[in-house]
Amino acid sequence: MLRYSLSRLMQAILVIVIMSFMLFVIIGLMPGDPLENMFEGNPSLTPELMAQMRELYGVDQPLLTRYWNWASAAAQGDLGYSSLYFRPVLVVLVPAMLQTAKLLGLTLLISVPLAMILGAIAARKPNGWVDSTVGIFSFAAISLPNFWVSLLFIILFSVKLGWLPASGSPMSDDASGWVQLRHMILPVAVLVMFHVGPLIRYVRAAMIETLSADFVRTARAKGVNENVVLIRHALRNALIPMVTVLALSFGHLFSGALVIETIFGMLGMGKMIYDAISNVDFNLALVGLLLAIVVVLISNLLADLAYALLDPRITL
Amino acid sequence: MTDATDPKTYARLPLPPAQSIWRMRYDKFRSHRLANWSFVFLVALVLTCLMAWPLSQYLGIDANKTNLLGRFQGPSAKHWLGTDDLGRDVLVRLLYGGQVSIAVGVVATTLMSIVGVTIGVTAGFLGGRIDGFLMRITDVLVALPLIPLLIVLGSIDLTKLGLTAAAANSSLYIFLRIVIIIALVDWTTMARIARAGTIQMRDRDYVRAAQVSGAGRLYNALVHVLPNISTPIIVAATLTVGRVILLESTMSFLGFGIVPPTPTWGNMLTNAQELIITAPLLAVYPGLLIFATVMAVNFVGDGVRYAFDPRAENEGRAH
Repeated sequence: MLRYSLSRLMQAILVIVIMSFMLFVIIGLMPGDPLENMFEGNPSLTPELMAQMRELYGVDQPLLTRYWNWASAAAQGDLGYSSLYFRPVLVVLVPAMLQTAKLLGLTLLISVPLAMILGAIAARKPNGWVDSTVGIFSFAAISLPNFWVSLLFIILFSVKLGWLPASGSPMSDDASGWVQLRHMILPVAVLVMFHVGPLIRYVRAAMIETLSADFVRTARAKGVNENVVLIRHALRNALIPMVTVLALSFGHLFSGALVIETIFGMLGMGKMIYDAISNVDFNLALVGLLLAIVVVLISNLLADLAYALLDPRITL
Repeated sequence: MTDATDPKTYARLPLPPAQSIWRMRYDKFRSHRLANWSFVFLVALVLTCLMAWPLSQYLGIDANKTNLLGRFQGPSAKHWLGTDDLGRDVLVRLLYGGQVSIAVGVVATTLMSIVGVTIGVTAGFLGGRIDGFLMRITDVLVALPLIPLLIVLGSIDLTKLGLTAAAANSSLYIFLRIVIIIALVDWTTMARIARAGTIQMRDRDYVRAAQVSGAGRLYNALVHVLPNISTPIIVAATLTVGRVILLESTMSFLGFGIVPPTPTWGNMLTNAQELIITAPLLAVYPGLLIFATVMAVNFVGDGVRYAFDPRAENEGRAH
């Protein structure tokens, strides 16, 4: 177990180093160069001064040298400044991560139990009317463009009915918890809809498989109540592989969060990355993307370990 | 006295009509009602979208021409669905947008299948370290968030890669760019399916026999393995088209996919947020079309899966 965890951890670190280089190259291909974007429109900046600045910041050096400079600074904790916010990148990103963690946490709290309930009742009678209804719901949830649902929700609940705010974060920072929660209802609802579709289909398929297992037949044969069979015997076993499915859905969930944070104006990681790329903020885009990848990879790693802990049949 | 082994009697016994596998698949697809209706809907949709040019000629409309004096018009004899925030005809733009979105869906899925199947078959057929290496990449890529990766790739300045500014901004390159980056990022599912199929096939007797009679690896992979794993690939590809249309529309909505003036359903919604109070209907049409199209494609995909997969009988239809 320990050896397995360590080797997976080493692999994850290797992946992060490789990804950081690839992203460094890709982000370097965004329009302009960091200095130009920072000082464009400044009339007192002569070409000679610009050349001096380039030399000072090493922008004119070859790609590998630049990457090495960036990586060795990053390894010492210096991740650079955001040209969009004029602050160190981490100072911008840490509150954003907390905001996204809240959004994703609330979403998971709702979408996981919802998927379990709907998937389980659909699997009870495959091809019955409950199954068909749940199936069409999950198909619709998979097919809905999340940005469009966000727009519709804003039109309906904020503009027409006036029930809920159209923005994802309150204007003032010291708003009470309830106010913050009220602002999060619409974004969380859209994200749940985005996340729950594939999960329902997964739970249903896993339940159908488990319900045909020998131990379920044994339980039924000895006269166990059907609901107990469904929940204690089938669902609990069907849920073990769900840890992996959930972990794999993290990347998907983060994609959804990017779109939804952007529409609802929530200052989370997704919106930071989007704004950084839109405004060609090289440092913020690079570090934001890398942090998102690190979080996703770590959650995958933890899920694999949790899988082994939950299922006694598996040893690593 | 009749003898069943007598050829004369044997020939007179009523035999079930011979059925080809395609006939059986067709019948099974026909039994999936939602998939059939979805298929009819998609055919009608494609035909309607192809009417964009004739219709604009007939009504005397230029889809990209702005008319600031005629903004937010209601439906009229000339503008059947009214005009948008720049005075452009909504219906004609929706139809052109449909052409673009569907084309991206089909072309990107094809390209992605080629990339994914090549990687999957290579990994499965060669095995060993190459397999391990390719599958590691797949495992990592499958977990990563797609949209952030897609928008950072979509923001690449093509002139830095040596293209002239005119070429980089031409609609062909913008189309190709989104198709290529979607294929580059989203091939993982296809690769896994192709690899699993190849591993099942590569040790079959006929593949070994071909190997012994001197067939090269490439020949063997192309002639003996590929046709036999085509079924799961076709099924996966059909189910992918819907996801690709969603990815494209999301990227175009965010401003990193197909950019105006070329209309797509996604970029027609980019400004909708600012117009929610003045013209909420402008935010409804394009999204409704994306939703209906993706839903229909997914149902057809489910029908194809049901028709092609012999195990689907027990699992039932997915709806």
